[in-house]
Amino acid sequence: MIQIENLVKRYGTLVALDHLNLHIKEGEIFGLLGPNGSGKTTAINCMLALLKFDRGSIRIMGEEMRPDNYRVKQEIGVVMQDVAVFDELNVHDNIDYFCSLYVKDRKRCRELVEEAIRFTGLEEYRKVYPKKLSGGLLRRLNIACGIAHRPRLIFLDEPTVAVDPQSRNQILEGICELNRQGSTIIYTSHYMEEVEQICTRIAIMDHGRCIASGTKEELKKMIRTGETVVIEAVSLEEEQLRQIQNLPDVLHAEYEEQVLTLRCSETKHNLLRILGWLQEREIPFGQVVSQLPTLNDVFLEITGKQLRD
Amino acid sequence: MAVFKVYMKITKKNIWLVCLYLAIFFVLTLLFQGIAGKNAEQEYTAESISIGVADGDGGPAAACLIETLDQTNQVTVLEDDGEMLQESLFYGKISYVIRIPDNFMEKCILGNDNVPVTTMPGTYTGSYVDQQISSFINFARVRAAAGFTEEEIAASMKNQEKPSVELLDIRGNAGEMPAFSFYYRYLAYLVLCVMCYVLGYILIAFDRGRISQRMRASAVPPRRQAGEGLLASGVLALVLWIFCTAAAFLLYGREIFESGCLGYLLLNSGAIVLVSVTIAYLIGTFVKNQEALSGIVNIVTLSMSFICGVFVDLDYLSSGVRKAAQFFPVYWYERVNNLVAEYGASAGLVKTEILQGIGIQLVFAAAFICITMAVSRQRA
Repeated sequence: MIQIENLVKRYGTLVALDHLNLHIKEGEIFGLLGPNGSGKTTAINCMLALLKFDRGSIRIMGEEMRPDNYRVKQEIGVVMQDVAVFDELNVHDNIDYFCSLYVKDRKRCRELVEEAIRFTGLEEYRKVYPKKLSGGLLRRLNIACGIAHRPRLIFLDEPTVAVDPQSRNQILEGICELNRQGSTIIYTSHYMEEVEQICTRIAIMDHGRCIASGTKEELKKMIRTGETVVIEAVSLEEEQLRQIQNLPDVLHAEYEEQVLTLRCSETKHNLLRILGWLQEREIPFGQVVSQLPTLNDVFLEITGKQLRD
Repeated sequence: MAVFKVYMKITKKNIWLVCLYLAIFFVLTLLFQGIAGKNAEQEYTAESISIGVADGDGGPAAACLIETLDQTNQVTVLEDDGEMLQESLFYGKISYVIRIPDNFMEKCILGNDNVPVTTMPGTYTGSYVDQQISSFINFARVRAAAGFTEEEIAASMKNQEKPSVELLDIRGNAGEMPAFSFYYRYLAYLVLCVMCYVLGYILIAFDRGRISQRMRASAVPPRRQAGEGLLASGVLALVLWIFCTAAAFLLYGREIFESGCLGYLLLNSGAIVLVSVTIAYLIGTFVKNQEALSGIVNIVTLSMSFICGVFVDLDYLSSGVRKAAQFFPVYWYERVNNLVAEYGASAGLVKTEILQGIGIQLVFAAAFICITMAVSRQRA
């Protein structure tokens, strides 16, 4: 569906995209992860032909993406990070307007608008103006405006920012439904759990480069961490912490506010070995949690920073 | 025609603002027109005042003076009693006292004495009588120098033909400005305000947040979007122009049709509507929110209206202000408007000046379009 080869975009001396390569297949929900300034939005803007780039190529649906390639644009839907609707038009008219930018046949357009209203659950609000809508409903309207014309490729740039959990779940379910209906989805988000929940493949971007990509399982295999053990209400001295760090298969130990967090390599019996070590020294402890690696661990280990850094 | 329809829908949402401005415009126009009409009537009414004359001479020249003054004033012959004359002046029975001295011919016509007069303090109505007396004395002195006797001077004055004034009334309304000229004068402010607000709100809406990006990513080429926007602006401007013209016909129908300058009025008002559209686009390029739009529109429209002759007649403005006003299109609109009102059916005599004024407005419109395009390109 999308082939990006050696894409370079500079703003003066700042390199926003540094030989970016991405391949997105039809029918995927492709997650684009990266901290602020990693180049996600620049990459999306280049894909949408909203920005000119310095080098490289972008092919969408087999065609070179140019600002005047309206045949490709016809098949693309965009849901911006910021809500981009007219305050002066009600819910119905907003969706109708953005749909009619793609669909010339009025009858078909009306049908699609009704479908989009139903799909986003805005039936009761069709005559309401955006200023009267809650944050969650406004986000749903924003999505409805982007998907009403039934695009084959949908760009969703952080569509769940500042949305309550209930609306967020509805939006995520909706995105999965769009994918089931045949749309390929490019999804960016700061919420790691969302990406993990819905994306079939993920690319991690940093400093304008794609530093890792694959399914979440493939990504998790790329890192050394196999298990994270968290032990609460434990009282340790510095020497004891050093000894724990030197235990076999412990990659990293962190002790803060009586909580010990250990990242271990993927071997068996990590938990038993650590708890045995504590019992031998008669160190009391409270709740113990063992977690398999998350995307957060992947991100942390690959980029060396938290997603929100 | 999606963009076109949204222009119309946003305008429909702001129609209350248009109605408000139209209401203010019509109230103010009719009000100012009424006030100006009254002033004009007062300016051209000849006033006759009551004069008390104490004739101390009784000769034919003195009698002739009294008769001359009586033609245009209410003359009462009184006794030469100083106290009584002062009392009459004090109680307002008379406004002007002339005391014709004994030997009037020798003292005032052949000699250089002035005719003693007393006026009510703090009034200027007597100055017209002063002129009449001065005119009579000069007439008599010329005849006396030519050897006329007192009787002959009086007879000559009686036989004198009254000077006739032929009014070159090229418009047939005795120099009075036609009522519709007030309407067209204030029209500039109305169309500027309405177009700036209506188009300003639309342009702000399209520029808000990421809407412009969403539209650039859509399947409608930017040129087509701009074209539909311009078409919608043109339709809105045309509707406003037709409405204003229809209202003018309704209010001043016969007067406008008989004025013989209907074509110029339509052309000139069309030009200012076009200029207003271009100014609205220019303002809309810079302004990002409705509060700022309101401030800028007020500054632009009110300042142009004050210095370009909308609220204050161009004749009352100093030459410096008039020179500065020439850098604004509204000045040229008002200039054409004044020429058309002044010359009426004979406006063909100043056809070049009128077409020049309209042409300059169009040049301003073209300049505003170029600036708007340059700014938009710079921002893109």
